[in-house]
Amino acid sequence: MIGIWLAGLVRRRPGRLLAVTAGTAVTVAALASLAVFLTSAKQAMTAQATRRVAVDWQVAVPDPAATDRALRAVRADAGTAAAEPVGLATVPGLAASTRDAGGSVVSQQTASARVLGITAGYAGTFPGELRVLAGTVSLSGPGGPAALLAQQTASNLAARVGDVVRVRRPGLPVLAVTVAGVVDLPQADSLFQRVGAPAGSQPAAPPDNVMLLDLAEWHRAFDPMLAAHPEAVTAQVHVRRDHALPADPAAAFVAATGQARHLEAELAGTVTVGDNLAAALDAARGDALYAEVLFVFLGLPGAVLAAALTVTVAAAGAARRRRERSLLRLRGASPGQVLAVAAAEALLVGVAGAVLGLAGAALVGRAAFGAAAFGATPGAAAGWMAAAAAAGLGLAAAALLGPARRDLRHATVLAGWQQVATAARRTRGPLWARLGLDLAALLGAYAVYRVTSRAGYHLVVVPEGVPTISVSYWAFAGPALLWLGAAGLTWRLVDLLLHRGRRVVAVAVRPVAGRLAGLAAAGARRQRRMLARASVLGCLAIAFAASTAVFNSTYLAQAEVDARLTNGADVTVTEPPSAHAGPADAGRIAAVAGVRGVEPLQHRFAYVGSDLQDLYGVRPATILGAGTLQDAYFDGGTARQLIGRLANAADAILVSAETAHDYQLQPGDALTLRLRDAGTGHTIPVTFHYAGVVKEFPTAPRDSFFVANAGYVATATGDDSVGAYLVSTAGDPHPVAERIRALLGPGPRVTDLTTSRTAVGSSLTAVDLAGLTRVELGLGLLLAVAAGGLVLGLGLDERRRDLTVVAALGARASQVRALVGVDAALVTAATLLAGGMLGAVLSQVLVAVLTGVFDPPPESLATPWPYLAGVALATASGVLGGAAVVSRRAQRQVTANLRQA
Amino acid sequence: MSRVTWRRRGPTVPPGTRRPDRDRAPVVRCEQVSVRFGARTVLDAVCCAVDPGQRVAVMGPSGSGKTTLLHVLAGLQPATGGAVRWPTLGSPAGWAPGTVMVSFQAPSLVASLDAAENVALPLVLAGVPDREARQRALAELAGLDLAGLAAQLPEELSGGQAQRVSLARALAARPVLLLADEPTGQLDGTTGMALVRMLVERAHAAGSALVVATHDPQVQDLLDTRWSISDGRLDAAARR
Repeated sequence: MIGIWLAGLVRRRPGRLLAVTAGTAVTVAALASLAVFLTSAKQAMTAQATRRVAVDWQVAVPDPAATDRALRAVRADAGTAAAEPVGLATVPGLAASTRDAGGSVVSQQTASARVLGITAGYAGTFPGELRVLAGTVSLSGPGGPAALLAQQTASNLAARVGDVVRVRRPGLPVLAVTVAGVVDLPQADSLFQRVGAPAGSQPAAPPDNVMLLDLAEWHRAFDPMLAAHPEAVTAQVHVRRDHALPADPAAAFVAATGQARHLEAELAGTVTVGDNLAAALDAARGDALYAEVLFVFLGLPGAVLAAALTVTVAAAGAARRRRERSLLRLRGASPGQVLAVAAAEALLVGVAGAVLGLAGAALVGRAAFGAAAFGATPGAAAGWMAAAAAAGLGLAAAALLGPARRDLRHATVLAGWQQVATAARRTRGPLWARLGLDLAALLGAYAVYRVTSRAGYHLVVVPEGVPTISVSYWAFAGPALLWLGAAGLTWRLVDLLLHRGRRVVAVAVRPVAGRLAGLAAAGARRQRRMLARASVLGCLAIAFAASTAVFNSTYLAQAEVDARLTNGADVTVTEPPSAHAGPADAGRIAAVAGVRGVEPLQHRFAYVGSDLQDLYGVRPATILGAGTLQDAYFDGGTARQLIGRLANAADAILVSAETAHDYQLQPGDALTLRLRDAGTGHTIPVTFHYAGVVKEFPTAPRDSFFVANAGYVATATGDDSVGAYLVSTAGDPHPVAERIRALLGPGPRVTDLTTSRTAVGSSLTAVDLAGLTRVELGLGLLLAVAAGGLVLGLGLDERRRDLTVVAALGARASQVRALVGVDAALVTAATLLAGGMLGAVLSQVLVAVLTGVFDPPPESLATPWPYLAGVALATASGVLGGAAVVSRRAQRQVTANLRQA
Repeated sequence: MSRVTWRRRGPTVPPGTRRPDRDRAPVVRCEQVSVRFGARTVLDAVCCAVDPGQRVAVMGPSGSGKTTLLHVLAGLQPATGGAVRWPTLGSPAGWAPGTVMVSFQAPSLVASLDAAENVALPLVLAGVPDREARQRALAELAGLDLAGLAAQLPEELSGGQAQRVSLARALAARPVLLLADEPTGQLDGTTGMALVRMLVERAHAAGSALVVATHDPQVQDLLDTRWSISDGRLDAAARR
């Protein structure tokens, strides 16, 4: 019997089966695609985390004499790709006597310093640990011992390449070395960590003074210190691992940690492993959590909406199914047999939908994310696939089997056969409407939003550079309540308008229905529940598409802003510390083809108290014209207003919020910085006056810096040299950067926005939204069209017989179209209006709750008008298309439709 | 092939009223009309004509093709063979709403409109203002003792009530040709006969030609022409 029944369904009611199957497939595909997104995102996080670590392990060897043994053991370990011994010594200080611009000898001394001993191959093995700013990284060669100075150390000593620096050693003669190069240590925090010490006892900042020597020279210099000062001389083995780790960050963290512990155990506790790799993977675990947060906020509503749409599509044929089940009962089928038939239909739809959905998700994953993996491991993939398929089967059961079971329990056979329904006459709203749950949900959403929007999700970057995420799960409730409340309110308003506002509706639809407006409004009043349902689904689909698109556009826009902050301009030319390029040199760059403008930017190091901060000198008259500053970069005024303060008072200075707080600055307060004088080479006090707070500044690598008037700085220090040129281009910056690079040679560093975008796009969160964006925007469009067209079309199709009767009574084709068009127009108007408003509110909520994602936070939302217009157009087309199909069918198959029961 | 058996009785209209004018062109004429659904022939070479004001009973057992014949006469079912013409009305595509009205055998009220709105529907389609259409609809319902059902929805009516509302809708339009398919199918004998009498009177008053499909001999006695149809064939002698 079941086989006959299913065969009959496939032959006679293919549309009905296809509609529910398609809805199930879309739901399964949406869930499975999100699994693919999560998988690819986690894989990317793991890969990026491992890539960013310069030295995977820093194996501390307390007894330097045991370094060779430790080195052998490390190199013999299966996962080690390379290992280099490193010596670390602490000395009382460094000193240098250098000549200033006037030829006078200037002497500088530093406080305690760290001296590292590295091998010749160290820079090549760990390229992320050293970045050469001047000179060479090679420490071997004829002549005396050579050394590399960290950038700040070179600044402290006023030392350049070729200068001699003296190293004070306790109990030993001073060691004189020649500066071979100046380097930047990008990962100084981890390089100088106390290996094995708890997180709370780590140094607050890396050492101010660092020198690097060749390892052999280091041993000659510091081995004699071992006996008298063993605590000042230590050794490490720096290790690069092969990164053969699981794709999932959590699993990779466990594996990496286990490998490090294994080494420690193997060496019987004689070493301690500073596991930088595991620390980075630990942070990636947090990023993975963030990806799951995005999944919940951006992805899950789409899947839930697809499921709701499927249930609604199934409900469109509920009356017919009920009648068929009643017919079965009248013909002698038992309740069990009726349920079996319904279960068979649900199983058919569920299995077909699950298979199609998973196949669709694999295709979508390959197209959107470049991979079709449902999980990082086979087990995870199987789990996700099973979960998505189970969701599809559950959905089919809810849509088809649930109503059958309910009718068997609560409805009589005769009621189902006669389709005694009071739906049209029903004036009593559903329970949730009578209780006002929709209004309560909206109030709850507002309350949760107010409480959590400030604390929602923040990415906290501690100075050591390890990102963590602070999660407030309570913030999930805000958008969820907003969805529910808005759906209910839309239903309430549409129902109210069609029920009580018949005259208003008649007037409103007169342009569509003409003389039939009154009857059409009467009909809409009786069909208001179906129209309200279609409107709610359409509204939610529009809101989903709109909010996702706005969030994604804002995310991309802020990534662009971040790239501009990082790079400074379309093209940025950064002069090396030893260069003395002046503002006049901007002319050479300006002459390059494709350059629209060049803005010089001073860069100095300034001491405030014992802190060393970056100081940027700007030309207030022209910096705004370079187009690199935004109002969001400043606090307490616009960019024009705050830069204007620098123009109005030459000694005005903008400081970071942290500096203003630490020094309790009030507007006009004097702030004395120590800057290096070009003439003497000494640091001299220069007085500024506090004028405001600057939060972000192009090229500023840290959050604490100063912005001052370049002219005042040049006059006070006798140095107008430029730190960087901010270049704006007409068109693609990359070829312009190539031309500038060719012009200036290898000295200055030339970077362009295109390269920075790529670097920033895979930045702190390592979550690439591009793939998710494509999936979500496509799903949003599909749901909007389906919700409007399919739901209304199916509802109208159930009334096909009525429309046929109207046609048989002599209605012209235009009159039949007008009656259908009224319903379509009402649904379209409600969908676009309510959906647009909800989408706007949801966008604000999502951006506010997820504000920690953005760096810097957006000033306003970026609205992708072309996409939104496309969605509106597609929705209206879907609705009108569905209505047109129904209208046509009603007029073409008159006698067949009339024979329908 | 069954023989022609028709009887001509006197009309059930008051004396002195006009008889069907056979000198005027017929309202509808079928010439060798056939209708096939796949391999099944529903109507086979039917020839017939309905004159203005004529009252015809189409008799035949279930499945003989009565409903299909009515649909063909109404222009709702295209003929597979032969020709159907409406000499005084032109092509169905050009008819004003209400020119030819059908009271269907199956429930045919628009579910989302109440009884009065259903009756008013063909009038509104024809361009009658809403207020006038409603007044005429209410009058028509009152004429059939259905005034109390004006605000009821179709699903709240019994089968018989729905059938009578359907007839009221057809009569309200004062059509040139009124086709009623089993109008007494859901009514008891007394009510059904009273309905048909009223139907004949109202059709006559409006000048409408009336074709009633029925298998009830008592109904055919109220109409002045009887056609017999069996297995899709209408006896040639039954045309006039």
